[in-house]
Amino acid sequence: MEGKVVVVTSGKGGVGKTTVTASLGAALALQGKRVAVVDMDIGLRNLDVIMGLENRIVFNVVDVVQGRCKLKQAMIKDRRINNLYLIPASQSDEKNVIQPENMKWLCNRLKKEFDFTLLDCPAGIEQGFKNSIEAADEAIVVCMPEISSVRDADRVIGLLYSRSITPKLVVNRIIPKMVERGDMLSHKDVVEVLSIDLIGLVEMDESVVVSSNTGLPIVMQKESKAGKAFMQIAMRMNGHPDLPVEDPMAPKSFWKKLGGKISRKNKVH
Amino acid sequence: MMMFNALLKKLMNRGDESKNVAKKRLKFALVYDKLEIKEDMLEDLQRDLIEVISRYFEIDRQQMSLDIERSEESSALIMNTPILAARHKKPQRNNARA
Ligand SMILES: Nc1ncnc2c1ncn2[C@@H]1O[C@H](COP(=O)(O)OP(=O)(O)OP(=O)(O)O)[C@@H](O)[C@H]1O
Ligand SMILES: [Mg+2]
Repeated sequence: MEGKVVVVTSGKGGVGKTTVTASLGAALALQGKRVAVVDMDIGLRNLDVIMGLENRIVFNVVDVVQGRCKLKQAMIKDRRINNLYLIPASQSDEKNVIQPENMKWLCNRLKKEFDFTLLDCPAGIEQGFKNSIEAADEAIVVCMPEISSVRDADRVIGLLYSRSITPKLVVNRIIPKMVERGDMLSHKDVVEVLSIDLIGLVEMDESVVVSSNTGLPIVMQKESKAGKAFMQIAMRMNGHPDLPVEDPMAPKSFWKKLGGKISRKNKVH
Repeated sequence: MMMFNALLKKLMNRGDESKNVAKKRLKFALVYDKLEIKEDMLEDLQRDLIEVISRYFEIDRQQMSLDIERSEESSALIMNTPILAARHKKPQRNNARA
């Protein structure tokens, strides 16, 4: 059976596409799937450093589509996680050296070997985006609970629909404390505005930064909230679509806990 | 004291929570964004409209105008065309009886 090609995209830059791609790639592989991740951000590659594979690059995705190397030669095998491979972007080429047909060809080959091919899309809706969605079967739209990010997500969702792809939403960098006091859109607000299905929530989590410092996959960090969230999203992609999404909770102070107890008691009486 | 303030804020001005402002602005922006259409689509629409209207009226094609007018509350498609004469024969349709 052929695998799936999933594009991770957002419109707006810096909302977490690369983090999501790296983490879901690792999570799916840890769950026993064969996974390839492709950095489509030609000229501004980053997926390699986030995955800690930057010093093993020899060939890149542009070399593959231009026939300068074999596909196998450009695939970097992750030595910590079985069945996880990275195809890095080129750092020196222009975005338009790759055309949508090239991506179709590449993804058709990857699909034969991998259960999941994840494409880390560049920000924006230009050539790199077009190349990435051309070959995709499914899409994950990443957005932050913030007005400009949601607006850009809406634009990208529209473009995906016009290619007959119904994307799923990841809301990233939620700060539960701010949501609780009404100063940040909740994931429910975002879902209501965008009216698409949610596939997961990731809180703002310091361990994401730590993991990017070390190049160690966040899903391998025990006790990381974000890591757990990514493992759950991977489960939902991987045969458990109904795994419930939990509401994020702010850590409660003593007084708040007490307040909660009292109000619960009052409700009973 | 902090807690009391937070509680007060919650009780008093629910509607003033900044996220509600964000949500309202966002909903408006998304509707507004989708109203923006490409110039050539308006031209296509004008051509199609002329074709349909011409079945019923003789119109001055050169004088016809089609525009989208936007205000803060709503948007409207405004068409203006001088009528030269009405056509009194029933328009020919595929399934119309002779
Ligand atoms: N859940 C999170 N908690 C904390 N920091 C995060 C989280 N998600 C992403 N970040 C941080 O946000 C920054 C941007 O993330 P990332 O590079 O994944 O975004 P991107 O969408 O790929 O950006 P670009 O559009 O430039 O490709 C990084 O510094 C990353 O460590
Ligand atoms: Mg990125």
